[in-house]
Amino acid sequence: MPGLAARQARSIVALTAPAYLWLALTVFLPLSAMIYFSFLTVAPIGGRQAEWTLAHYVAFFTKEVYWRNAWRSFELGIYVTIACLLFGYPAALMLAKHVRGRWREALFLLIILPFWSNALVRTFSWTMVLRGEVGLLFTYWAIVIGLVHAYLPYAILTCYVSLQSIDDALIEAARSLGASRFQAFLRITLPLSIPGVLAAVILIFVPVIGSFMEPRILGGKNAIMLGPIIESQFTAVFNWPLGAALSFIMLTIVVLLLLAASPILRRYWQ
Amino acid sequence: MTERALGHLIVRLYLASVLVFLYLPIAVMMLMAFNASPLYEFPFHFDTIWFKALIKNERLIESSLNSVLIAIANTVIATTVGTMGAIGLNRYQFRARPLLELLLLPPITIPWLIIGTSMLIFFFWSGIGRGLHAILLGHVALSIPYVMIVVGARLKNHGSALEEAAASLGATPWQTFWRVSLPVLAPSIIAAALFAFAVSFDQFVISYFLAPPGTSTLPVEIYTAIRKGFTPEINAISTLIILLSMGLMLLVARQYRFGGER
Amino acid sequence: MTAFKLHRRTAVAAVLGAVLATSVWLPGALAQSKEIKVLNWQGYGTDEKWATDQFEQKTGIKVVHDYFNSEQEMLTKLRTSPGTYDVVLFNNTFVMDAVHEGLLQPIDSAKIPHFADLTPSLRDSDRFVMDGKHYAIAWVWGVTSIAYSTDKLPEAPQSLETLWDNSNAGKVGWRDDAVESVQFGALATGQDMNAPADMEKIRAKLEALKPQIKTFWSSEDEWNKYFAAGDYNISTYWSGSAARSKKAFKLPVGFVVPKEGAIGWFDGLAVPVNAPNPEGAYAFIDYMISPEFYVKWDTDVGAPASANAKANAALPEDAMNRTVLGDPEVVKRLQWMAPLSDDQRKAYQELWDGVKTTFAQ
Repeated sequence: MPGLAARQARSIVALTAPAYLWLALTVFLPLSAMIYFSFLTVAPIGGRQAEWTLAHYVAFFTKEVYWRNAWRSFELGIYVTIACLLFGYPAALMLAKHVRGRWREALFLLIILPFWSNALVRTFSWTMVLRGEVGLLFTYWAIVIGLVHAYLPYAILTCYVSLQSIDDALIEAARSLGASRFQAFLRITLPLSIPGVLAAVILIFVPVIGSFMEPRILGGKNAIMLGPIIESQFTAVFNWPLGAALSFIMLTIVVLLLLAASPILRRYWQ
Repeated sequence: MTERALGHLIVRLYLASVLVFLYLPIAVMMLMAFNASPLYEFPFHFDTIWFKALIKNERLIESSLNSVLIAIANTVIATTVGTMGAIGLNRYQFRARPLLELLLLPPITIPWLIIGTSMLIFFFWSGIGRGLHAILLGHVALSIPYVMIVVGARLKNHGSALEEAAASLGATPWQTFWRVSLPVLAPSIIAAALFAFAVSFDQFVISYFLAPPGTSTLPVEIYTAIRKGFTPEINAISTLIILLSMGLMLLVARQYRFGGER
Repeated sequence: MTAFKLHRRTAVAAVLGAVLATSVWLPGALAQSKEIKVLNWQGYGTDEKWATDQFEQKTGIKVVHDYFNSEQEMLTKLRTSPGTYDVVLFNNTFVMDAVHEGLLQPIDSAKIPHFADLTPSLRDSDRFVMDGKHYAIAWVWGVTSIAYSTDKLPEAPQSLETLWDNSNAGKVGWRDDAVESVQFGALATGQDMNAPADMEKIRAKLEALKPQIKTFWSSEDEWNKYFAAGDYNISTYWSGSAARSKKAFKLPVGFVVPKEGAIGWFDGLAVPVNAPNPEGAYAFIDYMISPEFYVKWDTDVGAPASANAKANAALPEDAMNRTVLGDPEVVKRLQWMAPLSDDQRKAYQELWDGVKTTFAQ
C-alpha cells in the first residue's frame, strides 16, 4: 500500500529526526572539522599554513608508541568488559529473578546510586583503599579495579532490563517439559538476554578504551594508554591533527569489530 | 539446609558482596569528609570543618546547583528525544537503519576531549558561543546515544507483536504508543533517564570547554581544584549529594515501581 | 495508566521549568567597565581572595577568574574566545609565538608605576619585548629542581644522580611532562637543555628511571598528597610550590639546586588583543608586581620569586626565595628555559610517550 509506505516514512523521520539533527549539529558537524584537520599537517588556526598529509594516520601503524598503546587500551577494555559482565550478569539475574518486592527496588536503587557520585572523587577514594596493606595502588590491576567499579552498574542495569522482560512462563514451560534449571537458563534465559549483554558491551568497552582519568590516578607508571596519548595532543602540545587521527582510527577499529561480529549480532539484535 | 535455602543464601551473599564492592570507595569518601586532615592523612580525627567551610564556599555551591539544573534539563530532553529515536529506529525496517545505528558510536567512542574541542571551535565559529546553553547542547548530545542504546535493547527484546495487535484492533499510532509501547518500555526508559542524569551530572570535559568565565559546574570545580588544593570540602559536598540523591530516589521509588509489576 | 498521563504533563513542565531556570540562573549582565576577567592557573596568586578584595577596595574593579590546566588549554581558550579576557598569565616561552599569531596587544608601560622596579634582565627580555614594545610584564620567576624529604634524606642531595640512586628505588616522584623530562635528561647527561645534541642519550637516561619512579605527579596538589603519604623520598618539583608545601602544609620539604644545574623559568602577565577593560588590566598588573601584594603572598601562602627586586628584598630573612634563589651561586647554575617550536614539542612528546610505554611493560 503506497499510502502505508509514505506514512511509515513520515513516522520514521518524525521519530528519529530530533535525535539525529541534534547529534548532527553538536557532534557530527564539529567532528567533521576534526576529520578534516586529521589530514592536515597542522591545525589551520592563527594564520598557520597547512598542507595535506596522511602522515598522522601512517604514524599509527609505523610508530610503536601508538599501536602498542592502542593495543594496551583494547586489552584494558576487554578485561574490564569481561569482568563487568562476569560479576554483573549474575547480579542482574538474581535481581531480576530471585528477589521480590520492595527488596528488589531497594537493591536496584542502591546499585545505581554510586553512579551519581563524581568519578574523580571516587577514583581518589580508591587510591586510599588500594594503598598500604593491599599494595595494589599504582599497578595495572588498580586501573582495572577502578574501571570495573565505575562501569559495573552499567552492566547490571542493562542486563537487568533485558532479563526482567523475559516471561517466567517460558521458563516454567521448559521445566515442565523436563528441562533442568541449568538447561532452561542456557537455552532460554541466556539467549533472550543477549541484547542487554550487547548493550553492556558497547557501553562499557567503548568508553573504557578511551579512558585516561582512572589510568592516570590509579596506574602510576602503568598509566600510559592511547587515551592519555590522545589527550596530550591537545593539552601538552598543539597537535590536534594527530590526536584526531588517532581517535578516528580507534573509532574505525571499533566499527570494524562490530561489523565483524554482525553475523552473530544479527541473530539476536534484529 | 534445603536447596532452596542455600540458593537464597548464595543470592544474598553475592548481592551483598557486590554492594560492598560498589560502596567501598563511597564509604571512604564519606569518611574522609569528616576527617580533619586536609591531605587525607591518617590517623583519623573527627571534625565537621569541611561542611562548615562548604557553607561559605559560594563557588562550589553555585556550581553544584548549575550541575543539577543542567542534569535535570538534560535528562528530560535526552530521554524524550532518545526514546523517540529508539522507537523510530527499532520498530521499522529501512535501508538506512544500520548506518544510523553506527552513527550512535562516535559520541561514545571519540574521546570527549576531542568532541569538546571541536564543539568549542564550531560553537565559536557558528555564533553559539560558550554558556550554559552550549553546555546543555553538549550534554544532551552525549546522552542521546546512551538512551537510544538502552531503550533500543528493550525494543529488540520485545517484538512488535503487542503493538501490531493493538493496531489491528483499531488503535491509532499515538494510542498504541501511549498505552502499549510506553508501559512495556517504562523500565528501560527509566534506566536510560538514570544514565542520562549520570552522564550529565558527572560530565567534566564538555562543561569545562563550554563554560563561560565565572560560571562553572561541579565536576569542573572538582577537576580544577586538583591544581589548587583538593580539600575534603569536595568530599563534603559529594557526601551531601549522595545522601540527597538517596533520599530523592527513595521518594520516587514510593511512586513508581522500577522493577516492573512482578 | 493515569500515572503516565501525569508523567507527560510533568515532563513538559519540567523541560520548560528547567530551561527557564537555567536561563534565569545565568549570571546577570555584569557591569563591563567595573570588572576584569583573568585567565590563570588556579591557586597561582591572582585569585587569592584577600588580594582580589584588596584590589576591589582600592579600585572598585571586580576580578573574575577563569582557569586552565595547561598552556595549550590557555592558548585554545584565547584563540576561541576573543574579547573575553583582560589579563592572561603567560610563561615567557610562549609569548612571542602568541604575539606573532596576533593574540596579544602591546602594553603601555607608562601606565604601570612599579614597572621601573622590575629586574631589567627579566623585564626587558626579548621573550617579552618586540620592536621596543612590551607584550607581557615580568611577574614571577622560579626554579624547577629537586625537592626531598628532610626526614628520609637528612643530607641535602648535591647531584641529580640522587634521583637515579638505588637507595631511592621506588621512591622517586616525577612530573609527567615531556619538555621538563627532556630538560632534566639533558642536565643529567651534561647537555644544553634547550638544544640537546644527543636525544638518544636522553632517552636512555630517562628509561633508566623505570625502577626509580613511584608515580607521576602533574599538579602541586597531587604532589602534596603523594608526599604526605610517604610515596616520595625525592622528586622533581617547583620552587614556589616547595615553599607552599612547607609553609602551608607543614610538610618536611627541602629544596635544592644540584651541581648539574636546574631549570629556570619566568612568567609574565599579558593583555590580549580586544581586552574589554585594558585600563583595569593595567591596574591589576601593577598591583600584582607591587611589594604590597607580593610580600603577603609569599609569607602567608608561598610563592615563586618576584620579578620585582625590591619586593624580593622586602621578604623575611628565612624565606626560601631569599635563601635558595637569592644566592648568586645558585642562580649561576640555572639554565633558563628557551622557547620551543611546535615541532620540537611534538618530538619531545613522542619521545616521552615512548619512554612511558617502556615503563609500563
